[in-house]
Amino acid sequence: MKTDTPQVPRGEGLGRTIILTAITAVITAVMFSQGKIPQDPKGAIALILTFLFANTLFFLIIYTGKTDRYRAVYFSTFAVMLIVSFISHMLEARGSMSLSEAKVFQCEVPFCHLVIPMTLVPIALTKTIIFPGSLIGGYASIASMFVLWIGATLALGRGFCSWSCFYGGLDDGFSRVLKRPVIKKINPKWIYLPFAVLLFVALTAAAYLSPTYCIWFCPFKAVTEFNAVTSTEILIQTIIFVSLFIGLVIVLPVLTKRRTQCAFLCPFGAMQSLTNKINVFDVRIDKEKCVKCKRCIQVCPTLSMSEESLEQGRTRITCMKCGKCIDSCPKGAISYHIKGTDIPGKRNTYRLLFLFAAFLFLAIFSSHIIQDGIVRILKLVTTGSMIS
Amino acid sequence: MPKIRSIAGYMWAGAAIIIVLATFFGSGFFSRTLVAASGVKISPLYSGGEVMRSVDHGSYKALIHRPVFDALIGESKEGFVQVNWEPLAGLPPVIEEPVDYNGDGKEDFSIRIDTKTGKATLTRINPLVLSVINTVKLDNGWVVRVQLKKD
Repeated sequence: MKTDTPQVPRGEGLGRTIILTAITAVITAVMFSQGKIPQDPKGAIALILTFLFANTLFFLIIYTGKTDRYRAVYFSTFAVMLIVSFISHMLEARGSMSLSEAKVFQCEVPFCHLVIPMTLVPIALTKTIIFPGSLIGGYASIASMFVLWIGATLALGRGFCSWSCFYGGLDDGFSRVLKRPVIKKINPKWIYLPFAVLLFVALTAAAYLSPTYCIWFCPFKAVTEFNAVTSTEILIQTIIFVSLFIGLVIVLPVLTKRRTQCAFLCPFGAMQSLTNKINVFDVRIDKEKCVKCKRCIQVCPTLSMSEESLEQGRTRITCMKCGKCIDSCPKGAISYHIKGTDIPGKRNTYRLLFLFAAFLFLAIFSSHIIQDGIVRILKLVTTGSMIS
Repeated sequence: MPKIRSIAGYMWAGAAIIIVLATFFGSGFFSRTLVAASGVKISPLYSGGEVMRSVDHGSYKALIHRPVFDALIGESKEGFVQVNWEPLAGLPPVIEEPVDYNGDGKEDFSIRIDTKTGKATLTRINPLVLSVINTVKLDNGWVVRVQLKKD
């Protein structure tokens, strides 16, 4: 087998990094600005900061050869800015984060990708979407999220969960708070729970024609929108989702250094593990270089590395392509890979092709949310309020 | 064969970058195409179903939707009929509406809504009419859903 890299891979040279960053700079400049500089000074500042932030991180990813370290900064910033932007938007539009019955009846509830697994069976059998959102137009329309999901699945597969999911950045961020995990032993069988959750919510959603995960379990309602507590049933739902948010998104990620919500509950993540089969990128282990130090098993945030996977030279089905195992491998035995090509082969080329797709997806998808978040923060600093 | 697989892999990887750009550049076009090609709609359980009849009251109108008994397969034993009144500005303090939900020419129920308090009173004529499920003030009027039993 041929290899074009040293044993422990380094980043690209400075000249090559500048050229590669220049390519993303041009694309992101066009996509972030959509061809025009905002007249509002706060908007212009937000655009420039977002552009610099994105391209600095891309430069560092390429130059240092470290993927996860800088990806996580971007990914977590995206999640925080989504909360700032979304809540401000809801406060402006509705005056509160709670979802009114009127918005449900007017089909104006923002749609998110987590609903998709529950809609597929009803779409197939009734040609209807079981969600009170807007099909086209409006804020977070259903069709636009489906297009995004299809694009992400084709381009990144389950990489969506580490490069684009605007919720995933929260537990990713919390999983980095402590230097060492307090809870070290987790039964790896937990990684199959999201598949059970997926099956359960898909069946119950089909049976009741209702997005059951959103109504009963979604922890991210705590930082986006939720039903006002007007009945005992809604009170129980509120207790469940708040508990899940505190437990799976904050406390357990801090204590275990794992992405517990993504790894042990998320039905969308489970679905992406299955649809990932049609994606061309994966993470592979060069068995000749691997010394079985098990560092990758210790650091994988989703328990997608195991002794069996090291033996097989591939990750488990739940791998989110975050790059943490690649960064941590002392022998450079783990790398991004293009299906059908040699291992290790042209690992730098594989990495660059994956990074261009993944990074551009993250940068473009997050750009307006981060820009809006910055504008809101600037408003808060200058006027004392984030909303107009 | 390995070479072909390798070339196919590289082509698919290169296409992934194009797919990312196309996803965002063409989001509006792809969204409209997806909806048009698939023919999907919002479930009538949420939208209230298609408007079957409109009754003009001068300053406002009543929109009577088709009865919704939709289930995953076939129809369910219980459903509802939705009635909207709009615009908000033209509504009287009290709305009284006789409704023939099944289009047989006979009144099935009558609904009375106090638009100040939202209190709804249902007068059932057809035994298949059960009760008021929701009465909600919208941005542009009022809506009520009345629970029905399948014939």
